[in-house]
Amino acid sequence: MAKLLEKQRYKCALASMLSVQAIEGAIPILHAGPGCGNKLADLSAGASGHFASQIFPCTGVNEKDVVFGGEQKLRTTIENALKIIDADLFMVLTGCSQEIVGDDVEEVVSEFEDREKPVIFCSTAGFKGNNYKGHEWVINSLIDNYLEPSDTKEEGLVNIWADVPFQDLYWHGNLRALEELVRSIGLKPNTIFGHARGLENLKKVPSAQFNLLVSPWVGLDNVKKLESKFGTPYLHYPTIPIGAFETSKFLRTVAEFAGISEDAVNKVIDERESYYYYFIERFADTFMETRVMSRRFSVVSDAQYALGITKFLVDDLGLFPAKQYITDDTPEKFQDDIRKYFKDMNYGVESEVAFETDGYKIHKDIRETDYHGYPLILGSYWEKELGEELNAHFLSVSNPANERMIINSSYVGYDGGLKLIEDIYSVVKTRFN
Amino acid sequence: MGKLRQVAIYGKGGIGKSTTTQNLTAGLAELGKKVMVVGCDPKADSTRLLLGGLAQKTVLDTLRTEGDTVELDQILKEGFKGTKCVESGGPEPGVGCAGRGIITSIGLLERLGAYTDELDYVFYDVLGDVVCGGFAMPIREGKAQEIYIVASGEMMALYAANNISKGIQKYAKKGGVRLGGIICNSRNVDREKDLLRAFASELGTQLIYFVPRDNVVQRAEIHKQTVIAFKPDSGQAQEYRNLAQAIENNTMLTIPTPMKQERLEEILMEYGLMDNLEDDYKI
Repeated sequence: MAKLLEKQRYKCALASMLSVQAIEGAIPILHAGPGCGNKLADLSAGASGHFASQIFPCTGVNEKDVVFGGEQKLRTTIENALKIIDADLFMVLTGCSQEIVGDDVEEVVSEFEDREKPVIFCSTAGFKGNNYKGHEWVINSLIDNYLEPSDTKEEGLVNIWADVPFQDLYWHGNLRALEELVRSIGLKPNTIFGHARGLENLKKVPSAQFNLLVSPWVGLDNVKKLESKFGTPYLHYPTIPIGAFETSKFLRTVAEFAGISEDAVNKVIDERESYYYYFIERFADTFMETRVMSRRFSVVSDAQYALGITKFLVDDLGLFPAKQYITDDTPEKFQDDIRKYFKDMNYGVESEVAFETDGYKIHKDIRETDYHGYPLILGSYWEKELGEELNAHFLSVSNPANERMIINSSYVGYDGGLKLIEDIYSVVKTRFN
Repeated sequence: MGKLRQVAIYGKGGIGKSTTTQNLTAGLAELGKKVMVVGCDPKADSTRLLLGGLAQKTVLDTLRTEGDTVELDQILKEGFKGTKCVESGGPEPGVGCAGRGIITSIGLLERLGAYTDELDYVFYDVLGDVVCGGFAMPIREGKAQEIYIVASGEMMALYAANNISKGIQKYAKKGGVRLGGIICNSRNVDREKDLLRAFASELGTQLIYFVPRDNVVQRAEIHKQTVIAFKPDSGQAQEYRNLAQAIENNTMLTIPTPMKQERLEEILMEYGLMDNLEDDYKI
C-alpha cells in the first residue's frame, strides 16, 4: 500500500550529487529532468562556489528523451561538460525517468574512457533509495571505476569514512575533528570530503593501513568493498564519539586496532580528559543550579546522531532517555545491531529506539510521553513547533535545520561534547530571559 | 452520423490484429462509415493495407524532427475509401519508452483536433499484450469504450486474451470501457469455434465473429491491400464485411470476468482436443 511520508528528512539518491561535489576536483553530471537537481539543491546550504548544485551540468531530459531515449543528449552533455568545466573527475548520475526508460548510460559513459579526464557512472534513481544509500553507491562507484590497486600499504595511513556530506549538517567539522583525534594517537588520517582533501586523497585510499568507519550503518557496504577489492581491513565504530566517555573509548578502540600501545593512547586521553573535565568542573554550578534542565530526552534524527547524542546525554550528562527516533529509513538488516548499541550505555541504562520515517507518528508518540519535566528534544526543524507546543527545550541537530547556520562546527570529540553542552544549555537558559 | 464509437483492438502479438482491423475498417468504410485508424505499435504497420504501403510518417517521427509545430495533415493520411490513417510510431527497438510514446502521440492527436465530429469510428490497433500503462492508454477514461480481442484456438492466444481482459476489467471499474467480444482469427486448430465460444462465455462476453483461415489474406497483404480491396468478390472479403456488420450491430458490451490459469486450462482440456485424434500427432 502507498505510504505518505510526512515530514521528510532526507532526499532521493540523486542528492548524492552533493557527495560528488564535496570531493574537490569532482563534478556530477546529472542525467535527469530539469527539476531534479534544482529540487535537491535545497539540501545544499554551504555548497556554492565552483559549480553550485543549482548549475551542475544536466541533460534536462524532456518527453522526447523519454519516448526516444536520452542517450544522444547525454553524450552531448558529457562532451560539452568536458570542454568547458574545470574539473578532474566527472561522475554521471541518473534520475528516475531515464532509468525507467532504460537508457544505457554505462555504455554512453564508456565511450569517454580514453579521455584525458575520467568520466564514470553511478546509478542513483530516486526510486531505488534515499540519499544515504545514494551516497554509498557514489563511493562504491569511485572504488570500482576510479581507484587503482596500490602495490604498497602506507603504515599508519587511515581512511576515515563518516556520514553523508550536506545531509549531515556538521559533516565538514565532524570529519576534521575525527582526523584530529586519529592524528592525536599518531596515525595519519585520510579523508576525501571538504576543503583541501579531494582527488589526491581519494587516490591514496587503496594504500591505507585500514579503513575506519564511524557510522552506525552508512558506509558499511563501502568499507566491505574496499576490503574485498584492495584487501584493506576495516574497523567499524558505530557511534559518533561525542564527549569524553565515548571519545576516550573511541581512541582506545582505534589504537588497539592499529596496534598502538596502551600507554601512548592513555597519555593522549589523560591530557584531553583533563582539559574536558576542567570545563565540566568550572561549570558544575550551572549544571547543578539550572533546575529547569530536562531530565528525559528524545533525539529525532538519523541513526548517527540518535546514537551518538543519546550515548553522550546518558554517559556524560547523566540524563535519562525517553524513546529515540531514527528517521533515515535504516535498512532492516542493520536495525537489530543498532538496537543493541542503544543498550550499551553506562549505569545499565538502555534506550528504546524506533525506526520511523513518518513525522506524524513520531510527534504523536512524543506528545504521549511523560518527560518528567520539560522535554529535551533534539531533532530537526520539523520538531520546532512540537517543541513549542510541549514547552520543550528544542535544539535542531538534523536535517532539515532551517533556522540554524552551521559552517564548520562539530559535535565530535571532547570539544564536540562541550559544544553540544553549550548549545543545549543556551536553549535551556532562555527560560530565564 | 451517430455518436463516435472508439474501439480498441487487442490480442497476442502476431495473431492478426492489424490485418483484421484493416479489413474490418474497410468493410465499415464500404458501409459508408467515417473511420479513423490509429496504429499504436512502434513498428507502424497498422495502416499499411489501407494506405497501400508504409509511406506515412508517424506522429512521433514528426514530433522528433519537427518539434511541437506538427500539423495534422503531416501525420494523417487518407486510405481506402476515405479511411483516415495515423501511425503513432515509437522509438527504435531497444531504446526509449514505447508506452510513453503512445500516450504522447494520442495526446498530440487530440490537441491537433484529429477527432472530428464527422467520424463514426476511431479504431486503435494496439501491439501485443497490455505490458504497461502506456499500452493501456487507448482504454483509459475518455478514449475507447469498446474493446475487441483478436484470438485463435491456440493456448497462448487465449492466455493473452485472458490477461488483456484483466487490464480491461481494471479500467472498466473506474470508467466506461467495456469488452465487445472476441474475434476469432482462425488457425484451424481442433474444435476452434467451440473452444472460443466456451472461452468467451466464461469471460462474460461473446464470440462476435469467426473469421476462417484463407490464403487470400496473405496474397492481399503482399499486394499491400485489404482483402476487400484486393479480391472484393471473394468469400473472405464477405467474411470481413460480415464482421464489420457484426461490430456495427453489436450492443453486447460487458465487463469481462477473467479466469484463473487453472480454469483456462480446464476449458482447453475440455474443448481443445479432438477425441478421435488423441495420440495422433502426425502432421
